[in-house]
Amino acid sequence: MKQHLGRQSGVQNVEVSLIDGKVQIVPKEDARIDPPQLLKAVYDSGVSVAEMDVTVRGKIVKDASGSLALQAEPNQSFTIAPNELSKELESLANSQTVVTLLGQLYKKPPGKKKPETSAPLKLLILEIQRKE
Amino acid sequence: MNKKAALFVLLGSILAPVTQAQIKHIEMRVEGMT
Repeated sequence: MKQHLGRQSGVQNVEVSLIDGKVQIVPKEDARIDPPQLLKAVYDSGVSVAEMDVTVRGKIVKDASGSLALQAEPNQSFTIAPNELSKELESLANSQTVVTLLGQLYKKPPGKKKPETSAPLKLLILEIQRKE
Repeated sequence: MNKKAALFVLLGSILAPVTQAQIKHIEMRVEGMT
């Protein structure tokens, strides 16, 4: 699995802990990394992902439907799932403030083995780490 | 010359937050790993 993930574009380093069942991925500087592609790569190596958390830095924007999203790069954004923490970010929508968030991008639905990589992943904010 | 330098500084300050914006770290909890 480590080799499988290491071959994905934008991945700099992969650390696998067999004891905790955790996989840490460090993306390359200035490279685009595709979380659904990583989910698929893990599944293809015969392991199922229970949860995927990301630390991501970007700007808060409001999309056409009025939902909040985190613009990580000009061509990559994550729709933010509404919760108490997302309310704090509403005032920053379309501003120049850059935020660093810890969020959950994927959680395996009960009973399902295969991840739905075709469905867009929503970012559930767990912690607002920094506003700058 | 000073105008050019000022323009570079201005452009840099506008573009820097965008180029630094990205996924910094990913952690996955997996099942079935041996």
